[in-house]
Amino acid sequence: MSNVRHRGINYSASPLLASKTPVWRSKFVVATLALAFAGLGARAAYVQVFGNEFFQRQGEVRFARTLELPANRGRVLDRNGLILASSVVAQSIWAIPEDVDKAHPKLRDLAKLLEMPLPELKKKLANEDKTFVWVKRQVDEPIAKQIAALDIKGIYQRREYKRQYPEGEAAAHVVGFTNVEDRGQEGVELAFNKQLAGKAGSRRVIKDRLGRVIEDVRDVIPPVDGPDLQLSIDSKVQYFAYEKLKDAVKNHKAKAGSVVVLDAQTGEVLALANYPSYNPNKRVNLSGEQLRNRVLTDSFEPGSTMKPFIAALALDKGLVKPTSQIQTAPGRISIGGSTISDAHPHGVLSVNEIIQKSSNVGTVKMAMQMHPREMWETYAQAGFGQKPQVPFPGAVTGRLRPYKTWRPIEQATMSYGYGLSVSLFQLAQAYTIFARNGELIPVSMVKAETPATGVRVFSEKNAVSVRKMLELATGPGGTAPKAQTMGYSVGGKTGTAHKQEGKSYAANKYRSFFVGLAPVESPRVIVAVMIDEPSNGEYFGGLVAAPVFSETVQQTLRVLGVQPDMNVKPQIVTEAVEESF
Amino acid sequence: MIRLNLVLLVAVLASAFYLVHTQYESRRLYTAIDKANAQARRLEADHEQLQVQKRAQATPARVQQLAARQLQMRPVTPGITEYVTLVPQADASAQEGVGQ
Repeated sequence: MSNVRHRGINYSASPLLASKTPVWRSKFVVATLALAFAGLGARAAYVQVFGNEFFQRQGEVRFARTLELPANRGRVLDRNGLILASSVVAQSIWAIPEDVDKAHPKLRDLAKLLEMPLPELKKKLANEDKTFVWVKRQVDEPIAKQIAALDIKGIYQRREYKRQYPEGEAAAHVVGFTNVEDRGQEGVELAFNKQLAGKAGSRRVIKDRLGRVIEDVRDVIPPVDGPDLQLSIDSKVQYFAYEKLKDAVKNHKAKAGSVVVLDAQTGEVLALANYPSYNPNKRVNLSGEQLRNRVLTDSFEPGSTMKPFIAALALDKGLVKPTSQIQTAPGRISIGGSTISDAHPHGVLSVNEIIQKSSNVGTVKMAMQMHPREMWETYAQAGFGQKPQVPFPGAVTGRLRPYKTWRPIEQATMSYGYGLSVSLFQLAQAYTIFARNGELIPVSMVKAETPATGVRVFSEKNAVSVRKMLELATGPGGTAPKAQTMGYSVGGKTGTAHKQEGKSYAANKYRSFFVGLAPVESPRVIVAVMIDEPSNGEYFGGLVAAPVFSETVQQTLRVLGVQPDMNVKPQIVTEAVEESF
Repeated sequence: MIRLNLVLLVAVLASAFYLVHTQYESRRLYTAIDKANAQARRLEADHEQLQVQKRAQATPARVQQLAARQLQMRPVTPGITEYVTLVPQADASAQEGVGQ
């Protein structure tokens, strides 16, 4: 044995097979293997213990994905639950320019489907450095399907949401619109953007080789859809108001017009329309004129529509009674060197008649018996010079200067609506005072469940008296007999104001308006109409704006199911008449 | 001893194969659920789209136009309306009871 050990390792018992391998070689092999194992062990320790986090992360990057779960934007509904705005799926077309064959014969078809000139399409695909290019966003579903059928390499589609506005231009200014990123830009879409948007959720998943989701890594964060928003708007009333306004603006060759309809019981806005308008579904070449929500963003001198407030204040202060006689002859009055005159001179008028015939002189005589502070307080209480409490973008405050700066002539002109500015919306809201027996009620764009509670401005008795005067103004001998409507008693006040241009008044540019309520006994609606620069000969509010009021009131009360309070000669044909062609 | 080991080996192998199978099956089903969910969302979107289309076909503007052009209708006025007042009997008597 000792011999053998000296000679080397013995692999066999037979001396014939005795190897002559030196010992160091086997030792070397053992050591090498041991070292290799140690290396493996060290590597394993490194991967699993020291570098664990890094390798875990790298692994996850290769198969785990975070998916965003987009939230649906809430719908905008009218008061009866009809859709005014809703999101629908639209495909957006995108491309990897490098992958697209520029000479592909089907590119021509693609350009046609996208309503895009071929050179423009090619220009978009020209930049090969980019790996992602939008070709066209939010394409309608049928067209997207045809594009998918073309099957051009490098052209892909991605699901996005697009807002649809079925009501079109009639409700455009109320509803507004969103941009391509689904963010509100105008109207209610902007005002309630946060509420409507909802909150996107996410999930972390493991995907397999084919891109299929096979496992959720952690709990899913579910998306929170934006809740539906129910407005106070009645789409039928809105449509009628818009149509009548549009007709009037066209007939009188006016620049623009606005109308607003309020529910006198709840303070809800039933309709709010402007012309010119736009179609929110096709927003190309939009002008500022079309976009402007004049009801809220335009302020103007309210003119004669202020007179009822002066009359009511004079009654409240006990300065006059509805039948008190006031001398308005010779149709002129001089205050601080300036002369105020009536359009048509009258003689002795009662307070009733001053409102009925819209006498400037009579109104000024009442106003000059008051302290400027009292007038200012009444105007401020009526909401003039105050920001309207509606969450609408761009709603103006109007202008009502502090009474301490009023000169006597300014107090006089302010009594018949010059020297202050208001928006049509403020004017309509202010008239809730007369509709609600002396209380101003808050106005809401969102459907209200309960009747509004108001703030008292005038006593009930005096507010009702003024309402009677407003009725007289629309009767025979008043300024606006054209405001009358079949079946319903109406009351209201016309206004015709010279338009200001720079610092002076334009000679023949007018703004005609009419604010009124109906039925007079227990008012249900308030309608305010404004026509900007009628230029077809007629410009008095009683001729231009009052007919719009009349037709709007008629349709609104019918839609609301209000029974006529006046006798109507029935026109129902009882006998069947043979039809003729 | 060897026999027991063999039985255990078979048991371990069976369990391992079954585990692989279950894992595979669970992933397959998960994919199926995911697909079904995606389809549900798609159908929901389609539903919304159809509702909007339906609404667009029934807007006051379109109804008015069709009624006036095709059916020669005109807007209602009180002059051609017969008003009927419904007096709810039960309610009226109940209110009388409260009043007394």
